[in-house]
Amino acid sequence: MKDDKLLRWVLALYTALVFLFVFAPIAASLVFSFNSDRFPTIPLGSFTTDWYVKAFSNPEVWDAALRSLIVSSVTAVIATAIGFSAAYSDYRYDFVGKKAFLVLALLPPTIPLIILALAMLGWLSMFNASGLTLSIIIAHTVLCAPFAMAVIRLRLNQMDPNLEPAAWNLGASEWVTMKSVVIPFTLPSIIASLCLTAAVSFDEFAVAWFVSGLNKTVPVVILEILTGNIDPQVNAIGTAVFLVSITLVVIAQVLVLRSAKKPEAA
Amino acid sequence: MAEPLVVFDNVVKRFGTFEAVKRMNFEIREGEFLAFMGPSGCGKTTTLRMLAGLEQPTEGDIRLAGKSLLDVKPHERDTPMVWQSLALFPFLNARENVEFGLKMRGMDKPARRRKALDWLERLGIGEFAERDVNSLSGGQRQRVALARALVTEPKILLLDEPLSALDAHLVIRMQGVLTKLQRELGITFVYVTHSQSEAFAMADRVVIMSKGEIAQIGSARDIYRTPASRFVAEFVGRNNIFAGTVNAAGNVETPAGTFTLDGKARPGDKVSFVVAADVVSLSVTKPAAPNVFTAQLISEEFVGSMVTLFFEAPGDTEVKVQVQERSLEGIPREPGQTLFLSFDPSHAHILKG
Amino acid sequence: MTTKTTKPDTYAIAWRLPLIVWQGLFFVGPLLFMVAMSFFLVKNYRMEVALQFSNWQRMLSKDFFWDAYFFTLWLALLATIITSLVAFPASYFLAFKASERLRRWAIFFLIIPFFTSYLVRIFAWQVILAQSGVINAGLSYLGLGPWQMLNTQFGTMVGYLVLCLPLAVILQTFSLANIDKRLVEAAHNLGCGRLRTVFTVVVPLAKTGLIVAAVFCFILSFGDFVSPYYLGGSKPPTLSIMIVDTSKSGQQWPRAAVVAIMMIVTLLVVAFTAIGFAYRKRGK
Repeated sequence: MKDDKLLRWVLALYTALVFLFVFAPIAASLVFSFNSDRFPTIPLGSFTTDWYVKAFSNPEVWDAALRSLIVSSVTAVIATAIGFSAAYSDYRYDFVGKKAFLVLALLPPTIPLIILALAMLGWLSMFNASGLTLSIIIAHTVLCAPFAMAVIRLRLNQMDPNLEPAAWNLGASEWVTMKSVVIPFTLPSIIASLCLTAAVSFDEFAVAWFVSGLNKTVPVVILEILTGNIDPQVNAIGTAVFLVSITLVVIAQVLVLRSAKKPEAA
Repeated sequence: MAEPLVVFDNVVKRFGTFEAVKRMNFEIREGEFLAFMGPSGCGKTTTLRMLAGLEQPTEGDIRLAGKSLLDVKPHERDTPMVWQSLALFPFLNARENVEFGLKMRGMDKPARRRKALDWLERLGIGEFAERDVNSLSGGQRQRVALARALVTEPKILLLDEPLSALDAHLVIRMQGVLTKLQRELGITFVYVTHSQSEAFAMADRVVIMSKGEIAQIGSARDIYRTPASRFVAEFVGRNNIFAGTVNAAGNVETPAGTFTLDGKARPGDKVSFVVAADVVSLSVTKPAAPNVFTAQLISEEFVGSMVTLFFEAPGDTEVKVQVQERSLEGIPREPGQTLFLSFDPSHAHILKG
Repeated sequence: MTTKTTKPDTYAIAWRLPLIVWQGLFFVGPLLFMVAMSFFLVKNYRMEVALQFSNWQRMLSKDFFWDAYFFTLWLALLATIITSLVAFPASYFLAFKASERLRRWAIFFLIIPFFTSYLVRIFAWQVILAQSGVINAGLSYLGLGPWQMLNTQFGTMVGYLVLCLPLAVILQTFSLANIDKRLVEAAHNLGCGRLRTVFTVVVPLAKTGLIVAAVFCFILSFGDFVSPYYLGGSKPPTLSIMIVDTSKSGQQWPRAAVVAIMMIVTLLVVAFTAIGFAYRKRGK
């Protein structure tokens, strides 16, 4: 029994270390962003907000931030719409080729981004459509739709299969039922999906780097600063980026967990 | 007799190769309480779903008030349903659930609100109108589902095992609510259930289904006293079934004894007949009556003031006797006791086939 | 008694089309085009449509390609093994020793990094691992170091861990938590030592999930170019870095496409072999 306790504590400590490793860079980036040293080390230098001032007085950063915002929000909307329709098709119908349909729906995240980036660059260039903000949106939607589908499909699993028939039965056509039953029911997962896909798009750099041309998003700017030299501006921008994506992911998770716990009409 | 409200005309329903409903022909009369009953998988729910338009018949036609329903979409039929799972909209409160059908008809907001509240009041749950449906009890949710289906004042209401999720005492209460509503509104109720007591307690007519076919349609009394087939006799659990051969005197010889029945039979015929459990008489001494046989008491079962006694007659024949408890005074009821049982020839119902 | 219908109608088609059209046009299209592109020619920095095997010949006959290929394969395999081993004790703790509540919170937190900037995290590690960085400064207090960690394979491995560890712990925890705990207890009762139980009972029972987690680690690290570049110093380059270099400089997209196709084929082979192994019946 004593051994058991000891083992438990050793494992708990180990797990804590794993979490420390996972969250260290996020914390470090936050700390370094307020640290005066150009090459941060211990002991830390003095407190400063210079890096923020420097980063946010750079028009390129603002330009990229605005573009990132546009790209991630438009991507989130399109990817969620596509993900929703795919999840709903899977929930409601059996059809010929459904397996292929599901492969198409879920495969993109397993292809390395760098390969997708190259393929997308070649394809879009053929139509003279690379180097635009739109190109990034198109590519990010491909990447994000599977996440949207997964989140919404999980919620649909909790929907009573008789809920839609009940609405038809009360005089609602299929389209009206979609609007007044399916969408309200899945709303938490739709919002979660919007947040999650926005976060994915907001942080994605490989594909954006390849297809964006001169229209850089925030991660692409970070990538280019990194290629130059160690520059603590990245920490300032990075901390801001973390704040945005962590907020989005936490909102998404809370929505998913909350709606999963709520007992539905049995 | 009233015009038939619904006609099933040679209706067949197949799922792939599985024939869920095999060539059904029947009518539902205006204003009656009709119950479909049968074991699970017998096609009763499929029949109801076809009426609501949730399944399309593979063959045949269904007519409502003289008009074919074949090309009528579910939402264009006026056949509201109360679901086994209730299928209340969890993101709407009780009142909004009831308003749903009215909203779909384009009724304006104040009018449908008033109407919904009226119905909730009528079903005794007016005070819960603004409550989240998930916070209501099973019985309350049941009433919301009923109000939601009835608020549009349909001619016909479909009910798919609506009471199966409720506790036993609530089932009895809701049976009362349903029969009262049906009488007051005068509309047709089509009720699907696997519960004999629900069907017999409420329905004017009962449809017994088996393997996609109608085994019998009739009043509870008809089905109980004169089952159309061995399946019905066995499915209605309070029947005793005897099988034997007609002898030269025209009587039926069975392992349990030789019995005289009404009706003609040729010597040598094989015959099965049914005697309901509540028409069998009991006595300690041999009575001066026809159709007397002896049997050994095995066990007994109480439901209220009624008691069912289980006997074993010669030839492993199981015999059930249902009587009022007080009529058993003076009759010893130890297991293993041998008693005399008898029934009147007019109470024996000969099974066809 | 199903609500699912196979009869297609406009409503059903309308919900199927968006995915088919979008992913067909912008996922399947580009991938197929990439295959075609590998046979194109580049003249004066412009791509010309052609059907030539010259890119394939040029890439596959060069030693530097095969060096990079096997180096990348080695790094990804190493990362897969290290990540799986590092993740396992934590997953074991979360699955068997932690409360339901703690487990849920742990998963909640592990999902967060998956959706936050990988680049910024790698940059933070660049600073932490640097010659005069946090770790070496700490070591110097102990009279050790400085150690060269940045621009080494060690650096690359740290990056791969950053990338794969959260997902590996999540997937492993799920597969371990699904094990019937009574089987583990039964093994204990039969006198099976704790460590032996882990390897003879727990690991075989959770085999499928553990392998799936490993496959994801492999896919992620095989395709990543950030860790080997910014923490590993790009010496020697991996296949992913080769794609970046080839396509970004000199517009040699067709040659990059050859590398990409080789990567996809490798990934498919590895993934299917591993999954086949994962679902193979025991005792065969």
